[in-house]
Amino acid sequence: MAIDEAMFRVAGRTAMPPTLRFYGWSGPSVSLGYFQCVENEIDVAFCRREGIDVVFRPTGGKAVYHDDDLTYAVVAGEEEGLFPPDILGTYRVISDCLISGLRRLEVNTRYADEGREDDPDRIHASCFSVPSHFELLVDGRKICGSAQVRSRRAFLQHGSLLLTFDPVKTYDIMLPHREPREEQIRRLRESVTALRDHLLAGADLHQRICTVLKGAFAEHFQAVFREEGLTPQEEDIKEQLLQTKYRSGPTGLRKKRRGS
Amino acid sequence: MKVFPEDLLYSREHVWVRVDGDLATIGITDYAQEKLGEILSVELPETDSEVERDEPFGVIESSKASIELVSPVTGDVISVNEDLTDDIGIINSDPHDTGWMIVVEMKDLDELDDLLDARGYHDFIVQEVEGD
Repeated sequence: MAIDEAMFRVAGRTAMPPTLRFYGWSGPSVSLGYFQCVENEIDVAFCRREGIDVVFRPTGGKAVYHDDDLTYAVVAGEEEGLFPPDILGTYRVISDCLISGLRRLEVNTRYADEGREDDPDRIHASCFSVPSHFELLVDGRKICGSAQVRSRRAFLQHGSLLLTFDPVKTYDIMLPHREPREEQIRRLRESVTALRDHLLAGADLHQRICTVLKGAFAEHFQAVFREEGLTPQEEDIKEQLLQTKYRSGPTGLRKKRRGS
Repeated sequence: MKVFPEDLLYSREHVWVRVDGDLATIGITDYAQEKLGEILSVELPETDSEVERDEPFGVIESSKASIELVSPVTGDVISVNEDLTDDIGIINSDPHDTGWMIVVEMKDLDELDDLLDARGYHDFIVQEVEGD
């Protein structure tokens, strides 16, 4: 998260080429949306017992459980002019690239033109239960959750592409726990899917997915990617963020917020 | 239909300013709330903190994304709209009045010269839409 935010901060200050990043997680983790209240949204004690790390994202949205997934991040400054200036336009472009990439793996992905109907009985703390525009569906079930933050001159959009989905663990993590438990788990299983359910088993699945997605972005933008590490400025900001924002833990200081 | 109250000044970051002496009441415009969709939460500065022109002063979350709010003026925050805690929806329903966000005691009134009047903001939006 510190790396994603550092790239976003630098893109808003200096002219940088757009960045596409893929990463996994060193262990099972939950990322919370910027505005979520950790005690209201997840079972912190359960996460602690299970060794599940908890971190806030710089983007909004709902909680995401990261275990076997591939996380993508796209950062771009408005000066590049490669992305539409509006929120939904950006979602659409990135969704188009993700869909194109997954179709190269013969995973028939499409996006919902409109958000799915909300079901009040769904577990709302989880990103994958909540309908949103341009969410990616396979066989009518959500396979990727994304969130976006925009500053004056740049945006960061990142998302979790599920390789495996564990509805039981997701239910146990997310609050409030609605009863009956088995019914809620069944609802999650019906609304969410994962790539391993649609792909033949094989080595280096993460690498294969990164390769096709990178190819899809390159084709869409008629661009050539240059693989690099963080710039010195991004590295400095990342270190500052690690010492402050991302080291204090999920119950670290949150500014007073108003609203839901 | 979008509303552009004549008594306000506007920034190109879709923030309005109501000036009363050296005090600036600030909120987001009707155009901005419409673009954002349903607003879910907002993070605002504390009173007695400082805001700086062209720098973020808060973050707003909508059903679509989180957006940094950019201050049109420099000064000290002397008031924050606590009504937003009970009813965040007033930013959508009444963005130019009860949906105000902060009041700033400005340090440099000359900064207001860079803002747009209602007509200028309307024209700015038209250009922005045409550029989409």
